[in-house]
Amino acid sequence: MLQLIADGLVVGSVIALGAVGLTLTYSILRFANFGQGEFMTWGAYLAVSALAVVLAATGAGVMEPLGPFSFGWQLIVAMILAAALTAVLALLVDWLLFRRLRRGNAITLVIASFGAALALRNLVQFLYGTLPEYYTREIQIAIRLVPRDVLGGLRITPDQMLVIGLTLVLMLALQGLLTRTTLGRAMRATAQNPALARVAGVDVEGVIRATWVIGAALAAVAGVLAGVVGQVRPGLGFELLLPLFAAAILGGIGSVRGAVVGGYIVGLAESLSVPLVGAEYRAATAFVVLIGILLLRPTGLFGERA
Amino acid sequence: MTPALELDAIEGGYEPGLPILRGASVSVAPGEIVALLGPNGAGKSTLVKAAAGLVPIWSGRVRLAGRDITGLPAHRMVHEGLGFVPQTENVFANLSVLENLQLAAALIARQRRGSLEKMFSLFPDLDRQRKLPAGRLSGGQRQMLAVARALVASPSVLMLDEPSAGLSPKLVGVVFERLRAVRDTGVTILLVEQNVKAALALADRAVVLVEGRERLEGAARDLADDPRMAALYLGHAA
Repeated sequence: MLQLIADGLVVGSVIALGAVGLTLTYSILRFANFGQGEFMTWGAYLAVSALAVVLAATGAGVMEPLGPFSFGWQLIVAMILAAALTAVLALLVDWLLFRRLRRGNAITLVIASFGAALALRNLVQFLYGTLPEYYTREIQIAIRLVPRDVLGGLRITPDQMLVIGLTLVLMLALQGLLTRTTLGRAMRATAQNPALARVAGVDVEGVIRATWVIGAALAAVAGVLAGVVGQVRPGLGFELLLPLFAAAILGGIGSVRGAVVGGYIVGLAESLSVPLVGAEYRAATAFVVLIGILLLRPTGLFGERA
Repeated sequence: MTPALELDAIEGGYEPGLPILRGASVSVAPGEIVALLGPNGAGKSTLVKAAAGLVPIWSGRVRLAGRDITGLPAHRMVHEGLGFVPQTENVFANLSVLENLQLAAALIARQRRGSLEKMFSLFPDLDRQRKLPAGRLSGGQRQMLAVARALVASPSVLMLDEPSAGLSPKLVGVVFERLRAVRDTGVTILLVEQNVKAALALADRAVVLVEGRERLEGAARDLADDPRMAALYLGHAA
């Protein structure tokens, strides 16, 4: 039982990071971005390239593990670089595609995001191939935190603990940004009423750029973390797309807090359902939970508007 | 004297080929309160929205103290010193009263920025509700917050779109009395109003707009008894 919860929290962390970007884009740009999953994939692959560059530049050749983790400091640098590059990619996609369609209706943007997702996914396959990549080949031994006779026991790797910890730190930092900084207040103001935000002095185009940067950077970190505890594959983001939407909708689309809670609920639902319905139906259970919550609360857990 | 705000032969509208403003001109002298009146659909709200940068201007000029600010993005207008309070949804409901004001203050250059404490002394009702989400304020308090939010940016000219809309007659009196106090601090006001009686009682001068251009203009106290006003509102030529 404890093991399933821990596994759910690890998966939920990755989903939460991706869903936050999705919900931010939805609330400020007012469309559901189906390209969000691809930013995760691109983040993961850009980190592969950045890692190779960092290792070459430092002449290290091989990554020396950092403390109990399976990777060295070079991956942290690579992750930061990948987050920055993914943010640039998101700005580029916005400049090339979404910016021109913003005056149209939301459905045009949604369809355009489908197209962007397809293009990004195929481009990543073209550039990196279809075989899985790994940041490190180090094998980690899971640490036993709870003995087997207590609720089935709990073993977790330091990498997995880092995934959960880093997600929580990033979410707290984002919450701080949204509630305590001018940019955050401007983002919340733009999400609520873009026209009023303009006459209040908010540079809405600047807020939109900041939203892409934050959403894409978080997606990139999610992609890297998914790669750290698994493997980097071209389908990484696409396979997480439906859970991302489930998390964002379940939490109340537009709510950052909702996306985080939704991410963990989806992760836990998937994990806890495995002994009951088998691994092949785990993805479906998140949607059963989603339907249940929407029946009781149509705006989602933290949603303010229908 | 150079007008504080000059809207000169403005033509514009929301859709190309469907003009709402057909050469509207309004001039507001420094320190003046001018009421912009007219029947429904005259283009009053569209004119102030166009001046604020929210509706495209096809031709004509907007000048602020002689400076041409036509076509600047709406957020730049605020920095130039032109404030605007929309009619509805004019506060950020999910931000607290204090956050509404902090946001407006933070976006403006420090030397222009008005003090939040000054706003709270001008609108004492808001002082007691600092932490409350703006969406939970009463109608009158929301209008006060909307005005305070615009004033934090220290505008030289403040445009208000029907600040009396949805308020009880008593609250209209309170809001208008506050507007008079705002003018006394040196802010020029252009006021769009449907409540003709209250607007003429507050304003120094009034301009009546019909079908997208000004049709009548004069001192507010003279227009209050002018039979041409009724004719324009009833659809007859002045």
